Amino acid sequence: MSERAIEIVEVTRRFGPKVAVDGVSMTVNRGEVYGLIGPNGAGKTTTFSMMCGYLRPSSGTLRVMGVDPRVDGSLKGKIGVLPQDAILPGGWKVGPLLTYWGRLGGVANPEQEARTCLERVGLIEAWDVETHALSHGMAKRTALAQALMGSPPLVLLDEPTAGLDPRIANQVRQVIRELKDQHTTVVVSSHNLQELEQLCDAAAILDRGKLAQAGTMTELTGQSAEFRVQVARGTVIIPELEALPGVTSARMEGETLLHVRFDGQAHQPEEVISRVVGHLLQTGVLILGVSRGRRLEERVLQLT
Amino acid sequence: MVWSAECRRTLRSGRVLALLALYSLFSLLVLLVVGGITRALREQLDMQIAQAGADASAASQVTEEFRKGFLGFLVGGDQAVMEALAHVPLVVVVVFKATLFFLPLYVAIMGFDQVSGEVGPRSIRYLTVRARRLSLLLGRFLSQATVLLGLVLIIDAGIFVYAWLTTPEFTLGSFAFNLLKFWLAAVVFSLSYLALTTLCSSLFRAPALSLIVNIFVLFGFWLVNLIGGFAAKDSPVAYVRYLSPSHYANGLLHPGLAEFAVSGMAYVVFTLLFLGGAIVILRERDL
Ligand SMILES: Nc1ncnc2c1ncn2[C@@H]1O[C@H](COP(=O)(O)OP(=O)(O)OP(=O)(O)O)[C@@H](O)[C@H]1O
Ligand SMILES: [Mg+2]
Repeated sequence: MSERAIEIVEVTRRFGPKVAVDGVSMTVNRGEVYGLIGPNGAGKTTTFSMMCGYLRPSSGTLRVMGVDPRVDGSLKGKIGVLPQDAILPGGWKVGPLLTYWGRLGGVANPEQEARTCLERVGLIEAWDVETHALSHGMAKRTALAQALMGSPPLVLLDEPTAGLDPRIANQVRQVIRELKDQHTTVVVSSHNLQELEQLCDAAAILDRGKLAQAGTMTELTGQSAEFRVQVARGTVIIPELEALPGVTSARMEGETLLHVRFDGQAHQPEEVISRVVGHLLQTGVLILGVSRGRRLEERVLQLT
Repeated sequence: MVWSAECRRTLRSGRVLALLALYSLFSLLVLLVVGGITRALREQLDMQIAQAGADASAASQVTEEFRKGFLGFLVGGDQAVMEALAHVPLVVVVVFKATLFFLPLYVAIMGFDQVSGEVGPRSIRYLTVRARRLSLLLGRFLSQATVLLGLVLIIDAGIFVYAWLTTPEFTLGSFAFNLLKFWLAAVVFSLSYLALTTLCSSLFRAPALSLIVNIFVLFGFWLVNLIGGFAAKDSPVAYVRYLSPSHYANGLLHPGLAEFAVSGMAYVVFTLLFLGGAIVILRERDL
């Protein structure tokens, strides 16, 4: 068994003249939670589809769990997939459908497993509901439960939290964390970058089919060191702030938000932040909060 | 596994019932029309005979001649087939031929979305990571085949029961034997068309498109058979009819084992060809 769960080398996929994925290479290590990031139409779903063997790459090679996904049946029992735009088949009730799928996939105790997985996504009460009667969020959770069945070593989730209410979305993130604790490899795409920043060990940023950057989360976010200060009252003296050690730029975003960039390589963030806040307090500025989040978002917006 | 689940699902869906109703309604219609026509003709013949003042034996001879002529028209003038069918009531043969003619259409309507109906909305994506595409396709095909066998059996039995009730000289032994024979013929026949439907269904993403193409191909086959049949015996065009499954339909009722085997084999070959094509296409295509 190799250390790599997924290995993609120079993969290109065309749809007629349209190049959906253009020479992308990346590797996902076992046990890692890996994010796939990019704006609409960047090629995330196409990449997922090639990993699952739904689409054949126009050129390049893929290996998923040590096998070629295009070989018929090679992924059986190895992966669980939440496809983005696959509709649940009609004429089934949720419970029996999952049980049937579990049996197809060779799960030992399919009915029990179906119940467990539905419980994990908080949807056990939908056991007897027809698939066409599910709301969008319920259908998505059913599809997610389906991906968890049989505890596959690799789980691919294409936008698992899109269209879910905040509480359920949080529950889904919890499921992903549990998967990580069980050393399951997870590849997840999302437009919620804060969420990915929390969850992922590494990520790839795609833009118009090309790989903009790939690496661990620290590699992706380390270069852009910045934070924001919510100002309640008082006058911020920008030149004085910019003169502080480590600070590279400071500017006001609107009336109350101070945006500070600093040299993340040479300085520890806590030192720079404390220094800036200290200076603000000394000059009589009252503050409401300091936020360091959205670093990934900054990076993605820079790159795409 | 796919087979049993799909069987249950197909049976649960309303389409099979609707098709059964349609199929039996149609058979009933043909039955009534044919029954009516034969009765009217016979009356007319009787009247003519009576006017001519001929005796009873001549009358029955005329009826027999008429029957032979009609049968000959139906099965393409093959003497052996006609003799073999001599014990079967005429209505049965007519209705059977008529249903055989429309069976491919039923098959198409029943199975046109067996694959495309899953590829279009992409629900097949949930399946291909669990089972081989090959087993998915075969499971679908087999479940539809099972349902089809049952459907055809019900209809054929219905026709035969009708014939049995209305024709006194039709014995139980010949009833059972002929029912089995006709059913087998219909099964072999329709399996190849089911395979064709499977092929059309794997080709396209939109179920409606696969249905339309399927029907086009059916008409194409009939046309090819007709053209081949009308062409001069020695012209190369005459041979094109061997390319059409419809050409082999008569041989299925042939009493000679060899003829039956050849026609049966032809259908098996068509089935394998279509099914093989479907498998290759589903394997290679994007989902
Ligand atoms: N079947 C297809 N035929 C033609 N073009 C396609 C097909 N599938 C995807 N594309 C094109 O490929 C590009 C990438 O699509 P893809 O679905 O991979 O994007 P995505 O990153 O998943 O976007 P989103 O965030 O909206 O889900 C798009 O420009 C899209 O138009
Ligand atoms: Mg997508």
